[in-house]
Amino acid sequence: MRLIGVVLGKELMDHMRDKRSVMTALIFPVLGPVMFAGMFTIMAGWMREDRPLQLSVVGTENAPNLIAFLERAGAQLTPAPTDYEQQVQDGDLDVVLVIPKDYGDDFEAGRSAKLELVVDNSRNQARVPIRRTQRLLDGYGAQVATLRLLARGISPELARPLHVDEVDLATSAKMASNALNMIPLFLLMAALMGGMHLAIDSTAGERERGSLEPLLLNPISRSALVAGKWLATIIATTVTVLLTLLGFKIAIGRVPLEDLGVRADLGIEQMLSILAVVLPLTLMASAAQVLISTFARSFKEAQSYIQVLVMIPVLPSAFLSLSPIKTQLWMMAIPFLGQNLLVTSLMRGEGMDPMGLLLSLVGVLVVTGICLAATVKMLGSERVVFGR
Amino acid sequence: MIEVTNLAKRFGEVTAVKDVSFRAADHSVTGLLGPNGAGKTTTLRMLYALVTPDGGHARVDGVDVASDPLETRRRIGVLPDARGLYPRLTARENIRYYGKLHGMGGAELEKRIDALADLLEMKEIIGRRAEGFSQGERAKVAIARALIHDPKNVLLDEPTNGLDVMSTRAMRELIRRLRDEGRCVIFSSHVMQEVSALCDRIVVVAQGRVVADGTPDEIRQSTGKENLEEAFVSVIGSDKGLVQ
Repeated sequence: MRLIGVVLGKELMDHMRDKRSVMTALIFPVLGPVMFAGMFTIMAGWMREDRPLQLSVVGTENAPNLIAFLERAGAQLTPAPTDYEQQVQDGDLDVVLVIPKDYGDDFEAGRSAKLELVVDNSRNQARVPIRRTQRLLDGYGAQVATLRLLARGISPELARPLHVDEVDLATSAKMASNALNMIPLFLLMAALMGGMHLAIDSTAGERERGSLEPLLLNPISRSALVAGKWLATIIATTVTVLLTLLGFKIAIGRVPLEDLGVRADLGIEQMLSILAVVLPLTLMASAAQVLISTFARSFKEAQSYIQVLVMIPVLPSAFLSLSPIKTQLWMMAIPFLGQNLLVTSLMRGEGMDPMGLLLSLVGVLVVTGICLAATVKMLGSERVVFGR
Repeated sequence: MIEVTNLAKRFGEVTAVKDVSFRAADHSVTGLLGPNGAGKTTTLRMLYALVTPDGGHARVDGVDVASDPLETRRRIGVLPDARGLYPRLTARENIRYYGKLHGMGGAELEKRIDALADLLEMKEIIGRRAEGFSQGERAKVAIARALIHDPKNVLLDEPTNGLDVMSTRAMRELIRRLRDEGRCVIFSSHVMQEVSALCDRIVVVAQGRVVADGTPDEIRQSTGKENLEEAFVSVIGSDKGLVQ
């Protein structure tokens, strides 16, 4: 047991002095939250609804009543420039309302009066102003229709056979989870990659330097050696995960999420629950990395194997963030997928599922045990120790 | 004391060691001489339990290597073929790590490191990081960490490989000194002169077998050659792979 501590201490000291390896461990805590903050700040800028609607109009003089209605509704109207079609295409204008000359005649005669809305639907940024303009125009149309029917002594309800009320069941926390899905993804990636460099350096690197054979000549069992290196990898990974979570906590506090109609909060209790799910994963990730880098012939080979290894568990999660599937209990036992589902539901504010947590823990521990046993066995093999 | 009886090892199709037996006494230097590929390194690796023999036994101070590898490793100090250091650790930290793995620690360990630094004349580099060390400096650190636990038996695999003239002389002096301290020293070499200059007993290995075993005088007598070099050539069968 004391020898495990000796190996652990040496690996950590060695690792701390390795600038490159510390850098890779720090990329995640920094990169994730920065990307997150940037993305949401830009999106919030697009979606802000409290800004007055800016509407450019051609032919203001053709429809004074409509114009008065729009201004009462709070829209800021400006005369459209002559090259408005070009400006809409270029993204300088979001939406332009064109009122033709014969609008007044048609309106008075009770025919459908034509209006034109010039937009570019391919631009995400213009979507909100377009929708707001349409809503305003529909409102005006409905108001006029009601007045006309009443003037003829007909109930307006006859002209409206359907009345659709939209009942939106998405709680704001639920909406937030869709947008915040990238946080668990980054946390789980941090759990996979944080200790990667240490794992490779202390196994494949050890052999490449020619220090593995002399190390094995010390009176220490292979399992104690593997345990020390594994624990060192776990510690490096855990630090990365903690820093990443802290980074997101800071980022969430600074991003105007309310502007997106999203309420997200990383409270202490939620952070602890997330850690309870993610940290066991580092046991498995570290064991798998130690196993793979022991097997690999060189540092470079270990690096490319592990990069592939990282991709495999990320795939189901990436799929999940695009098309949400219905969660089944058995899925929790699949390492990484289970953690991803649990963290996602935590982010959604649904609370911890103890059965799921237990299953995910079992899945992880089984794989961890297999990896560690295989590493110890491998270190006993002459071919692995002396290279092939 | 190290005893080897009928050791044999195959790697797939290749038989590296066919039948090697010898006895290395305390207070003496035993040389394993043979051309490259004769099976010297594999024999040594079986002695320190990194390679499991297919047949035969090895005993270190009466302890069977195969049945108690950890106890064996406590009783021997090894300078193996691979001499990698940890480049981000200082020479002292490299040696200290091995000392701790041997269960040492505290002031006793530091005193032992100082003594070894004195003995190996490496006081200037003891606090420096190992990256950028010369071959000779690296060999010194590797020797120091092999001797940190004051082993009664010392195995050196081609100890002068890659060393310059000065470091080679220092290494030879060290080997004599280790013998004078009463240790059992075994070293392997393919350099005839080195073996004849240092060894009390010579074991000549060729193609995985012991072809001659004895003091330099005994080997000269048994082959009927006056010159030790000619004696070696006659027992090995050719001078291929031997360096003068």
